[in-house]
Amino acid sequence: MTTRGEYSPVDGASRWPLLLLLVKGIGWLVVAGILALVASIQLHTPGFMAGCPLLTYGRTVVLAETAFVYGWLGNAGLALALWALGRLAGEPLRAQNWAIGGAIFWNLAVFGALVGVALGDATGFELLGLPRYVQLMMFFSYSAVAVPGLLAWNGRLRRVSFASQWYAAAALFLFPWILSIAHVMLFAAPVHGVLQPIVAGWYAQSAWTLWLAPLALSVAYYVVPKVTGRVLPSYEFAALGFWCLIFIGGLTGGRHLLGGPVPAWIPSVAVVSCALLLFHTFIVILNLRGAFTGEGIAVKFIAFGLAAYAVGAVGDALTSLHGIATYTQFTHFDEAQRQLALYGAASTFLFGGIYYALPRITGKAWFSPGLVRAHLVLSICGILLLVGSLTVASVTQSQGILDSKVSFQEIAHNSRPWLMSATFAQTVLLLGNIALLANFYATACEILKISAPAAFNPPPAVETRAS
Amino acid sequence: MKSNLIFFIGLFAALGISWAGIVLGSNAQLGSLAPFYDETDGATYPQWMSGSAAQGQLVYRDLGCYACHTQQVRRPGFGSDQQRGWGDRQSVARDYIYQPAPQLGWSRVGPDLANLADRKPSAPDSEDLLRMLYSGSAGMPPYRFLFVERRLGAGAQPSQAALKLTGSLEPKAGLEIVPTPRAEALVAYLLSLTTSYTYPEAVPFKPAKSEGAAAAPSSTAAPVRATPAPAAPAAAGTTPPAAPATGVSPAPASAKAAAAPTPSPTVTATPGSTGGAK
Repeated sequence: MTTRGEYSPVDGASRWPLLLLLVKGIGWLVVAGILALVASIQLHTPGFMAGCPLLTYGRTVVLAETAFVYGWLGNAGLALALWALGRLAGEPLRAQNWAIGGAIFWNLAVFGALVGVALGDATGFELLGLPRYVQLMMFFSYSAVAVPGLLAWNGRLRRVSFASQWYAAAALFLFPWILSIAHVMLFAAPVHGVLQPIVAGWYAQSAWTLWLAPLALSVAYYVVPKVTGRVLPSYEFAALGFWCLIFIGGLTGGRHLLGGPVPAWIPSVAVVSCALLLFHTFIVILNLRGAFTGEGIAVKFIAFGLAAYAVGAVGDALTSLHGIATYTQFTHFDEAQRQLALYGAASTFLFGGIYYALPRITGKAWFSPGLVRAHLVLSICGILLLVGSLTVASVTQSQGILDSKVSFQEIAHNSRPWLMSATFAQTVLLLGNIALLANFYATACEILKISAPAAFNPPPAVETRAS
Repeated sequence: MKSNLIFFIGLFAALGISWAGIVLGSNAQLGSLAPFYDETDGATYPQWMSGSAAQGQLVYRDLGCYACHTQQVRRPGFGSDQQRGWGDRQSVARDYIYQPAPQLGWSRVGPDLANLADRKPSAPDSEDLLRMLYSGSAGMPPYRFLFVERRLGAGAQPSQAALKLTGSLEPKAGLEIVPTPRAEALVAYLLSLTTSYTYPEAVPFKPAKSEGAAAAPSSTAAPVRATPAPAAPAAAGTTPPAAPATGVSPAPASAKAAAAPTPSPTVTATPGSTGGAK
């Protein structure tokens, strides 16, 4: 692990907005982990917290998803995208007040969204559970945070730009646009009938392919060549991979509408697009394959994320096919795929980015290398266990649903052990994320020059090392 | 990539293509979808939801029921949707045109509800649904907060709305459990969910080979509704003669609908009339 961060004046000058976004992001990650744990218990023990109207299963699921996507991925992804853009521009971030103001309002909006969902204002759309009244606030605050990034892109010293910059700039620019389209078409002037699920499906897939995946990839494309110290292999294809994702990503919108009451061409376009996206995935792997042999915690996270990204893309392409979707559609497998993409791929890229960036932003080494390693092990084990258990649960569930004589009570009973194992996986992930939060907090405190409150007692081993 | 202009035009074009293709394309195809006028019935389908059902849809969304239940019967060839009795036909876009917030859902931890009010062999009535909401089951949580426990005055009769519970759930003497307005709206909504009316586009296309399957969509131009007896003769006129003998799934949906008109008199198939169900 990094003993001493290479400190650059560029990083030091843009420290505060990045730290603010990161600390909020990691905080939401722990909140999302707790909510996901509750939801996961409710899935196999429906009576759990059933008396609490704020936490019905349907609400907890949306709460966990909102905190995870908009709280964790949104904040941390923005921080690292700004950081990569600033570094590649070669000068400190400009307009930092915009980023700080935007970050404050973005997090207020996430908080408002969670309160709204708990009180029953969820919209019922996948990845867009945000109540309508926070959406405009998210639009404006995100745009404000994006300002320094786009200024850094525009004012870069070299005219040539790098893959990391393309992905980051695309994510900064495209998300406000897809959010505003979804807001207008679903809430301000809502379309009718099944057009709503179609627009929502388009939003959900675009949010993944045009926002979250580019944010995560920009981190990976920055960190991998830095750590391996080499030019990315086959880099001349990187632009092709980028445009492939950007042009085709949004067309996968009908992936979950297979067999449903929508025109058949919508899922058909999605089938073709999911297959075409494999080309993008292939190029990403080709470019970043150095991660699999690289040294250091950051690269280990990214290597795992790359594997998850590739497996997820193949999974998406396969399950969009009619023959396979017959078994997987509407089962826990959908959730397994979502976790593989959002947790396995996007989050581990960001973890890697955080472990690489924080020592450079703060000029301090990570407080506890032990906690860093613990986080790596817990994350990888947790994700593998979670995706694995949900997949096995979905096999049991799918066999039950396809046999019209099996009742849903029996299905629930048969998949119960595997859902309990998913709960265990969520606990493991939560522990890992608490380790990250504690470590981040302790490291950030060193730069803040304030002593950690007495309540925070690091384990003795760490204490001796730190003194 | 050197030019900012080309980069941003590229991003703009990329998002524009997917938006125009998926969103505007489907809007152009379905945006002006009109209700279907049935000359035999002198009515249009689908019918508007009753006020309480529309309120119930919001309760359904607000509690997050969509996290476990879908409301879409898929096409034949997709799983056991029709064998499970979830619907005689696939759901089509026209089913949803009057729904303010269609709840297609994305997960089947519980059964599909698209045709709950007309499910075969037996559809639940409002009492079943309220009891289900109150007690929960192995796979479904109880929603006790949708009910209130009331104390009965000395010698007073229990309210008509009170749940008839037995066993461990039975309230203590002098107490009764009554549904709140939200529970009643939710149940009114669930009982308004029916796809018993068969639109022309809902009949799966079958290449004409055997006499039973000869009902190509064009020949059933006047579609049939699963109605109680009075409308059935009119309906039978347009049904292929060989069809009623085969009551099982491969027969065209219209034939099935006419063959099994009145198994459950508790729930009528007319969407508009179920709003009053308690």
